[in-house]
Amino acid sequence: MEFAGKAILVTGSTRGIGAAAAELFLERGGSVVLHGRHQATVDAAAARLSTRHPGRVRGLAADLADRAQCRSFAKKVSALDILVNCGGIFREAPISETSLAMWDETIAVNLTASWVLSRELLPVLRQRTGTIVNVGSDAAMLGYAGCVAYCASKGAIVGLTRALATEAAPHIRVLCVCPGPTETDMMQESVAATPDEAQARKQWASYTLLGRVAAPREIGEAIVLAASPRATFMTGSIIMADGGATAGRRV
Amino acid sequence: MAKLTFDYEGCVALVTGAGRGLGFAIANALHEAGAIVAINDRTPDACTAAIARLGGGSRLIAAPADLSTADGPGQAVAQATGRGRLDFLVNNAAVNVERPIEATDDAHWDMHLHVILRASFLTVQAALPLLKASRGCVVNVASELGLHAIANNVAYVSAKHGLVAMTKAMAVELARDGVRANALCPGTMDTELMRDCAADSGDPDAYYAAFNRYHPVGRLASPDEIAAFVLCLLSPAADFMTGSAIAIDGGSTAGRL
Repeated sequence: MEFAGKAILVTGSTRGIGAAAAELFLERGGSVVLHGRHQATVDAAAARLSTRHPGRVRGLAADLADRAQCRSFAKKVSALDILVNCGGIFREAPISETSLAMWDETIAVNLTASWVLSRELLPVLRQRTGTIVNVGSDAAMLGYAGCVAYCASKGAIVGLTRALATEAAPHIRVLCVCPGPTETDMMQESVAATPDEAQARKQWASYTLLGRVAAPREIGEAIVLAASPRATFMTGSIIMADGGATAGRRV
Repeated sequence: MAKLTFDYEGCVALVTGAGRGLGFAIANALHEAGAIVAINDRTPDACTAAIARLGGGSRLIAAPADLSTADGPGQAVAQATGRGRLDFLVNNAAVNVERPIEATDDAHWDMHLHVILRASFLTVQAALPLLKASRGCVVNVASELGLHAIANNVAYVSAKHGLVAMTKAMAVELARDGVRANALCPGTMDTELMRDCAADSGDPDAYYAAFNRYHPVGRLASPDEIAAFVLCLLSPAADFMTGSAIAIDGGSTAGRL
């Protein structure tokens, strides 16, 4: 049981990639703090996982767009081995239609919350052999039309990862897992907003060399590996779990 | 040595953070090449002083605005585009205050993220109709720290990485409109800011020596040589270049001696 005795916090873990990672940590012995925006959703997710992993799950709610909430959230965590900054939002709009509010919210949730939580929890992580895993995106490396704020936020999270890794070494490892397109509610919402869902799904799959989107659990595995004692010489690493999306493409 | 010359007569450019350092050097180079140059800096006085240093005249426009605010970037663009034309937008303005992560606070974080990243988005957004009309060109001045990190600079490194990624997204989205966007990633330059930092360090010679060593070529860049490259990027010689993150860093991101 690789994570026995380890305390793990995964933001954005009531669904999608965060939920898959949380479940893998639990299956391998860890104790997990689930996080979501609303208490009711977090409680429901915690109750569901508690039946299989009694005594090792608790749920805390906080709005990642709100720094004050991020800070009081961090204060509720007194012992921690692994912080996974996974919570994120994906808003699409052309440059001309990207509102200031959309920009600010995307940066706040996808980037600033990770800075706040890392900063507030570093002293706690330093008491153990702490690890931070940020969740980036292939969009950190590849520009996608129609989501300029999202791409900026994900590029910046790679920078945050490298800066934190440089500063927190050698005691604390900091890594970034960059998923490609993944079968999540986030993707479903994006696909549902298009006129032709099937075509949109094909488009997402076509971005990868594997010709398909990822299952959340496949990304969860990359996160768990990054956080595990199997990865002790990895820090500042940008781990592309993107089905080859950034490696190349067929013309 | 061969000197590259460019003719930008009639072209209108906005350079943010042009009061000193690299921004001033870029403004100077564009002005020498015949362009009409809008000088943005935080205060009207800084803009006036830069314009005076450039010799004044009808081809220089003051475009003061505080780019850390939500309205500042639009104000800078509005002042620069009174003639109804904009060919070049150079997002150069930045702040860089080094401190360990645990000494960063909200004001520090926001200042870096707003000036470096958000303002560069908002100027492009505000200038987009005119850039599309001129099939213009954006240069976002990132940094070698948009490509790798150093310690004690978390807000700056995050913002500059974000700027590189944002440039790629913009380049892809605007490619069919004929608008190019590239990110320039310079290494350390010998600017007023650098001299201030060296003086503050108590041992300027050692400070300079450390930064010289940091670059495999063994020296710092001059703002003028980076500015000369910006003119290349804006020229038809770079017409097929968009979405690039170009390191011009004396080898600092390439490897170690």
